[in-house]
Amino acid sequence: MISSYAAGLLAEIGIASIAALSVHLILAVGQLSLGNAAFMACGAYTASVLSVEHAVPIPLAIAAGAVVSGVLGLIVGFPALRLRGIYLAMATLGFGEMTRSFFLSLDATGGAAGYSGMQRVSLIGIWAWALPLLVLVLIAERSRLWLALNAVRDDETAARLLGLNTVALKLGAFTAAAALAGIAGGLFAHWHIFIEPGAFSLDRSTEMVLAVVLGGSTVALGPFFGAAALALAPEALRFIADWRLAAFGALLIVILLLRPQGIIDKRLLRALKP
Amino acid sequence: MTFSRRSLLATPALLLARPAVSQARFAGLEVKLGAIVPSSGPFAEWGRTNTVALRMVEEQVNAAGGIGGAKLSIAIYDDAARPAQAANLVRKLADDDKVLAIAGPLTSSACEVAFPVANQAKLVACSQASSKPGTAAANRPWAFRNTIDEAVLMKTSLPWFKRSYSVDTIAIIYDAKDANSVALGSRIMPEMLKENGIRLLNEGSLATFNTGDIDVSAQITALKALNPSALVVAADYSQAVTVLREMRRQGFIKPIIGGTPLISSAILRAAPEIPVVSCATYYAGQTGEKVQRFTNALQPRLRATAGLPPTIEPSMYDAHMAEIVGMYTDAVLRGGLTLKPADLESDREKLRAHLEKLSGYEGLSGPIHFAATGDAVKVFFTVVGQNGSWTEKLRGCSTSGSLTC
Amino acid sequence: MLLQQLVNGLTLGAVYTLVALGFSLVMGVLGILNLAVAELFMLGGYVGLTLMLDGQPLLVGLGAAALFTGLLGVMVERVAYQPLRNAPPIAPLLSTLGFSVIFQTVATNVWGSDPLLLPPELMDERYRIGSISLGKPQLVVMATAVGLVTALALVMRHTRFGYGLRAIAENRDVARLLGVPAPLVTSGAFALSGAMAGVAGVLIGLHYGALTPFVGVEVGLKAIAVMVVGGTTSIWGVLLAGPLLGVLEVMTVAFGGAAFRDMTVYGLMILTLLLRPQGLLGRASGAQRV
Repeated sequence: MISSYAAGLLAEIGIASIAALSVHLILAVGQLSLGNAAFMACGAYTASVLSVEHAVPIPLAIAAGAVVSGVLGLIVGFPALRLRGIYLAMATLGFGEMTRSFFLSLDATGGAAGYSGMQRVSLIGIWAWALPLLVLVLIAERSRLWLALNAVRDDETAARLLGLNTVALKLGAFTAAAALAGIAGGLFAHWHIFIEPGAFSLDRSTEMVLAVVLGGSTVALGPFFGAAALALAPEALRFIADWRLAAFGALLIVILLLRPQGIIDKRLLRALKP
Repeated sequence: MTFSRRSLLATPALLLARPAVSQARFAGLEVKLGAIVPSSGPFAEWGRTNTVALRMVEEQVNAAGGIGGAKLSIAIYDDAARPAQAANLVRKLADDDKVLAIAGPLTSSACEVAFPVANQAKLVACSQASSKPGTAAANRPWAFRNTIDEAVLMKTSLPWFKRSYSVDTIAIIYDAKDANSVALGSRIMPEMLKENGIRLLNEGSLATFNTGDIDVSAQITALKALNPSALVVAADYSQAVTVLREMRRQGFIKPIIGGTPLISSAILRAAPEIPVVSCATYYAGQTGEKVQRFTNALQPRLRATAGLPPTIEPSMYDAHMAEIVGMYTDAVLRGGLTLKPADLESDREKLRAHLEKLSGYEGLSGPIHFAATGDAVKVFFTVVGQNGSWTEKLRGCSTSGSLTC
Repeated sequence: MLLQQLVNGLTLGAVYTLVALGFSLVMGVLGILNLAVAELFMLGGYVGLTLMLDGQPLLVGLGAAALFTGLLGVMVERVAYQPLRNAPPIAPLLSTLGFSVIFQTVATNVWGSDPLLLPPELMDERYRIGSISLGKPQLVVMATAVGLVTALALVMRHTRFGYGLRAIAENRDVARLLGVPAPLVTSGAFALSGAMAGVAGVLIGLHYGALTPFVGVEVGLKAIAVMVVGGTTSIWGVLLAGPLLGVLEVMTVAFGGAAFRDMTVYGLMILTLLLRPQGLLGRASGAQRV
């Protein structure tokens, strides 16, 4: 038996990993989103309302949250096609703030007071989502589809000339990413059994991006590793007390400087193989 | 509800740790408590003064021979006001540190997430500051708060406010991002104003702003145009400072009334000529033997602590923290706990049962009980902050059923 | 009341313009969103106001703040931008975020998380024009916004430094071939951007009479919106977009409610990105850069 403290951290790593995978998916087509917390919020609120008010079983409620989130992702994905790089990042940032603002003024889900009444999922319940999703992404990474996604990232014009449907690929990535964030949101809501708009702020979105960038964005193990590092860092840094957050910032800069490709990349994985 | 000053002063001021009962029956044992405070992030100041206050109590208790001979040790953790961290810290304190009970967390958001975990772990958690309506009540039986529901406080303050400042019309502004302020500003106050026959001028379009806003000029200009005789400001003090400053800038000098989160020394400096009416269960400058002893002991320690401003004063939440540790101590001495590691589970339950029926415990300003909601039944004061200091105007008690001060 | 609200909106707009300038300079030239600007703005405010509380005149406060945050700007550039110049733009974005976190913690630990308050007398000089009430700091903020934008536009157009910046903005390699000392000019851009953020911090702190370590985040996000709406490649754009968003925000609050405020401001930003990515005054080619 592990201690409930360790279990709590593991649960958070599981949820954060799924959230990070959603950013990983968008990055695969070379897009950067600073608004994925909005999809997480959408999944969290949908799943919670379904499980609390309509007695939908939790896994089903979470899946429904993922679908609603995915549809939102598709809708947002269309205009997002027009933007790239830092401009898309700023647009999604705005979208995230608007979504938070929306839930803040939505009285049906409690507004600022938040929403509760959910049943708690178990640690195993969380990893029953996280592990298969990781495996799924790992398998996808070896497929032709992923090569196509990366082709869009590397050179969109060339990809189009090769006959790839870049619009469909980008929209697909955005939709799937939103659905993944929705699952993370549903699990988050049913793990903390309380949600409020403040839980899905810009901080959450940047945390997701950080997990991917720190862990490494070239292979799916990277985001997992990054999410774990982000969940454990605040705990590991407790000994410096008041300077805890500053140390986190410094660590972030150092890692970016030493390994701009992230901690885990393909070369490291090859080197680790016996 | 309110009662005379004399009856309260007549109660003997007992020491926090009640050394009168201390025999050495727990010699060689240890009382391990946990505390969750936000020492980094936006509420860092509160968390840091909380830490100093806890260390002071710990030191005082141990210097006086401990709790029935047992050494008091408090494991203090920083949750950075993040709900997820607070929840995990409850798990850590429950499982790894094996504490008897937890003091904290501070913010209502953290309590909403941490209290269910405390319930699951069967471990008492008592917040020093959360006053969002119903947060402890939703997480019974293990959640407690050494605070009073804002609605109860307002019931005493508002009639006094109306009388003293001849308030017949009023307008409301609240922080729409903060759950506690939303409850007070949009639900509790409109209803209570009606009961008291005060006309609410911006009913249906209450003014709001968001935590972190630096500019509330538009709101204040609109409120000023309504020309109310007073203003309700439902926000915590660091946000209310922005509102007060803007009122002053626009020459809109009207008395304001708000909840306990207004109490701070910072708000006194924002616009000294505007009277700020609020309720407190402790304020720096409060008189009374026991409370002054607390203030006099804590203040120099706070001011000598690195990372805290040199003019800092003890906060209401420091007083609450000290009282929470005092209540836990009281439970250890009088609740039939054994302090044996093997009895940890039953000791935790005994501590909870003791708190639920807490009686004869003297806080800093009077006895403390807990209502069925998990919130404290204790003495409070309606105070006016003006020209740089708080003045006590009225004493009340958050009576609940047969429980009173 | 409408007139007073207009004045409120214009003042808020000037505040946004001042902070947006800091973002705009680095974004327009290097295509980098330097998130630390929001915190340099906050730190500048603290440094300036602390000196003024100590009895120093405003100009000393402004000068010290500009120097301090200008130097920090160079530090950010050397550590967080220069080594990551060829990495995808997300890397410097996140490394500047790292600095944001550090600066916030420093401010919390040095000045505390409670608001730093100026003595109320400092805010008392007020002018009345008809039904409108105007504070002296308010006028200073607006005048400085116009002044700084003009000065920066002149620098960009008429100095060697400005020529170098514009050359780098077009093409770094070509600029070097033309003899532009690229590293020096880049550092200069970060220094100038930091110094302007610092000046903005002092003036805004003076105007509101209060500062907290977290003031940068909220203002910073709005300033980014202003920069986008005005056009990232246009200095004059922020002078137009700042007051536009300021007035829009104030009017939404006054007549619609604060709940819709973020919707309007960020909605306008997203619409601009989609329909006119170069911004109100930007050149069309600039927006293609990613």
